[in-house]
Amino acid sequence: MNTYEKFREMMDNQIMLSFKGEITSDIINMVLQIMETSLDSVSEKGNVRKKIFNVLVECMQNLYHHAEAEVDGELDTRRAMLELSYDNDYYYILTGNFIKSKEIKPLQERIDRVNSLSKDELRQYYRQILDNNRISDKGGADLGMIDMARKSGQKLGYNFKVVNDELSFFDLKVKVAKKKEKK
Amino acid sequence: MDNLRIEGTKQTPEIDFDANTGILKLSGRSIPENTFEFFNPVLNWLDEFSAQAPDKVIAKINLEYFNTSSSKYILEILKRLKTVLKDDKDVLVEWYYEEDDEEMMETGEDYEDVSGLPFEIISIEEE
Repeated sequence: MNTYEKFREMMDNQIMLSFKGEITSDIINMVLQIMETSLDSVSEKGNVRKKIFNVLVECMQNLYHHAEAEVDGELDTRRAMLELSYDNDYYYILTGNFIKSKEIKPLQERIDRVNSLSKDELRQYYRQILDNNRISDKGGADLGMIDMARKSGQKLGYNFKVVNDELSFFDLKVKVAKKKEKK
Repeated sequence: MDNLRIEGTKQTPEIDFDANTGILKLSGRSIPENTFEFFNPVLNWLDEFSAQAPDKVIAKINLEYFNTSSSKYILEILKRLKTVLKDDKDVLVEWYYEEDDEEMMETGEDYEDVSGLPFEIISIEEE
């Protein structure tokens, strides 16, 4: 694929931003700034904008705190990917990172649990976790999934791909509806 | 004791805690990666404050965004105020949200429920 084709593909898929590399504090700030500018240019404001911003912060901080390094020859950086796109109905926030294969089961159980809950049940669960969990040095990881499900109002999409004995690749897709849903 | 003033940044909220008037303002964004670093001095200040608080304390919380790791610390702040309430002093939490930000309103209700403090949830017009 030549560069023009690659560019066209990104345009056709309505990709607002695509990143692969180590998620650092500077990168997080930069991505948030780029998104604010992009959302300004498409006049997306208020509630939807806040939801996207919130989900994006949680996703990137998950990568910042939980991405594992893929040991690859001399390289040992915690590479991850992040992609933001949209279609007529939704904005999509997609992240991908390595995790330890043994973490698949507990992580999957947590996401499935969050996905099985109704709006009100999610709220009760949020209150319960907020109250009971002790602060961990990496922040409230459990709250992160609940919060993303609450803010987006959608089920969390995910996938695991076993890479080798140690590592697997985890991708998470969160979508935010463009217009406020009617009640 | 000294007041606590911290300027806001793109990642951290503005703190304006007045030990004499009992007005504690927390506003802006709270999305740092390392929440402990930011909030630990704030909680330490509140530990000292709660032991010598004036008769009336009002916390004015007006946050645009906060991440989930900040949410634990916001609860910790409210827990410090609960000890002030238990000393038979007046404590009120004013929780502000932009009028179309239903989630922030609900989050205020969540904190009211979990903290057991008197809350006033106040809608503000967007700029």
